[in-house]
Amino acid sequence: MATRDSDDRTERVQLSATEASARDSALSATDLELGYPTSEGPVVTIDRLDIPAGEITALVGPNGSGKSTLIRSLADQLAPDSGEILLQGEDIASYDGKALARELGHLSQENDAPASVSVEDLVFHGRYPYRGFFGAVDADDREAVERAIDLAGVDHLREENVGNLSGGQKQLAFIAMVLAQETDVLLLDEPTTYLDLHHRLRVMETVERLNAERGVTVAVVLHDIAQAARFADYLIALDDGEVYDWGPPTDVVTEALLRDVFDVQAAVRHTPEPEITPRRSL
Amino acid sequence: METDEAVTTDRSAPVAADASGWIDVPLVTLAVVSVLVTVFAGLLQVSYGAFELSFGEAWTTVFDPALLSNPAVWKAFLLGTELPTLRPRSIVVWNIRMPRVAVGLLVGANLGVAGTIFQAVTRNDLASPQTLGVNAGAGLAVLLTLVVYTGLTHLLPLVAALGGAVAFFLVYAIAWNGGTSPVRLILAGIIVATVFNALQTALFFVADDLGVVQTALAWTTGSLTGVDWAEFRIILPVTLVGLPLSVAGARHLNVLVLGEGTAKSLGMNVERMRFGLSGVAILTASSAIAVAGIVGFVGLIVPHLVRTIVGSDYRRIVLGSVFVGPALVAVADVGSRLGATMFVFMVGVSGVATAGVFVFVGLALSLYDPDRIDRRYRRFVAGAAVVGLLAFGVTALLGGPGVSDSQVPVGIVTGLIGGPYFLYLMRRRQQIGDL
Repeated sequence: MATRDSDDRTERVQLSATEASARDSALSATDLELGYPTSEGPVVTIDRLDIPAGEITALVGPNGSGKSTLIRSLADQLAPDSGEILLQGEDIASYDGKALARELGHLSQENDAPASVSVEDLVFHGRYPYRGFFGAVDADDREAVERAIDLAGVDHLREENVGNLSGGQKQLAFIAMVLAQETDVLLLDEPTTYLDLHHRLRVMETVERLNAERGVTVAVVLHDIAQAARFADYLIALDDGEVYDWGPPTDVVTEALLRDVFDVQAAVRHTPEPEITPRRSL
Repeated sequence: METDEAVTTDRSAPVAADASGWIDVPLVTLAVVSVLVTVFAGLLQVSYGAFELSFGEAWTTVFDPALLSNPAVWKAFLLGTELPTLRPRSIVVWNIRMPRVAVGLLVGANLGVAGTIFQAVTRNDLASPQTLGVNAGAGLAVLLTLVVYTGLTHLLPLVAALGGAVAFFLVYAIAWNGGTSPVRLILAGIIVATVFNALQTALFFVADDLGVVQTALAWTTGSLTGVDWAEFRIILPVTLVGLPLSVAGARHLNVLVLGEGTAKSLGMNVERMRFGLSGVAILTASSAIAVAGIVGFVGLIVPHLVRTIVGSDYRRIVLGSVFVGPALVAVADVGSRLGATMFVFMVGVSGVATAGVFVFVGLALSLYDPDRIDRRYRRFVAGAAVVGLLAFGVTALLGGPGVSDSQVPVGIVTGLIGGPYFLYLMRRRQQIGDL
């Protein structure tokens, strides 16, 4: 990210901000109510949500604000109590499992693989939606796997077993697996939590490259609002299961947001990206 | 991209250049050794019995080209037509002793594969036909037939298989709560097995005929004594359907063990796949139960044994189980035929032989690529040699090998082998049993 010219970035963000209303949304949800069998009443209530096509949208909010619940429902992992979710204009529930997995990739917060599976074998699992029950690997699959490995920068790890990788390397391997799905939309649930700074940047650079080079729509849950502000084209701030604010980071990240949503007193400077200096908890 | 972090490299397996290159050296070695062990045990099996035959006589009869090339004989074995006139020796070897070996092989392969699938589907290393209620269901069905519904006795194999299937579906229904989970499946298996086992024991009290009790016991401990080509004809078609399906399904097991969420994200219909693959496992396990009764531990041990050698790729584990299952049952059945001291002696022979084969293969490989031979390989060879030599020692202490007249059911022998082996695994691999 340090290599990117910040002026370019600002220009891009502002450009897309003015275009936002005109753009199509890759994923949209209306009158959404999400809950779990064990919870009383809905956990997340959203009247209208748009994930703009070809942009990076970050979902931010404090613990328990419903970020993961929301992204799980957008990935069709959690059926909504009411409301509908549209992917490229079609109800997500009407998609066949494999057809959906060719359009929409989803990486959940916690991923586990048997210890002695090689990174390459893991990435090949990303081609699952392209193969029939007896289907063999074809040239397309191999090329997609090569591209994914290259994009995630795990070429030097391809022969390693997943069990021998560090947390950050493992995350990159799983990201390569999702990339091998070659979807137009990618949903990532806290892909950088628990990672060191180096791997955090590596993950984010991969996502940015994917977005810039292939125009993939990305929705990503991020814990760190400063990171989200620096990295995303749009922010969706969730507070207690409802959308608090939506828009480009410069508009969304304010001292009021940090006070109301995160219970933190902080100073926000625009340089021109929003920079947050936390003062104390409220 | 930089490699700034030290990574311990495990180069035991040549890495698959693509997803179809997954058949690697450990898997091939395992298959070859298993086949050798199976053939060895099978030849021993056909050499012993009431009709005295020397090893040479027995083995020339097995490989008798005139008999092997006679289509009428194969028709009689595989389709149940009338057997052409043969020498008494051929009759004894081919019509009495070989079916026992042949059925044992298929029982082993089917149980091994069933256990492998159950372990993947439930993502639990302790899953097997036993833990998922299949054995208890089959056992109860057998007792009900023998004690209460005596009119169905001639359908006993079918009833046993059906009992196993019903029990598993019951387990599935109990575990179902808008979907299942591995832990729920295991817990439901325990519930069903407990109740069914209690009912089974209760039925033993009702049975007043000692013959009935003995038949029931033979069924519930698993035995290959007295099996015929008729049993082979029951289990063969199921095996021919079940094993290819299992090998084809192994790729899906690999995705399934990534966890439900990931499998669903990759487009898998998790519930349907889990149910379908469980169905295949039920089919193979039931067919084994139908011909040999409840041979315990094979379904639990075989996947573990294979996993320690070929790693956690289910394509390799399923294929490995197809080879190791028969070897285990063949060895156990030799044990049940020969009695304790002879069996221990044979364990010694096979242990030393296995170590020898692996040393040979290892030497050949290390000339070719020294990096391929890792610690795991050396440990395995050392382990086999130690077990073999220990067995020789025990045999010597017991006064040398001798064939005993009484036969122990093979299910008891698999339990006696399986229990200690599993204990060893548990001590070695701390993470076994993590839910």
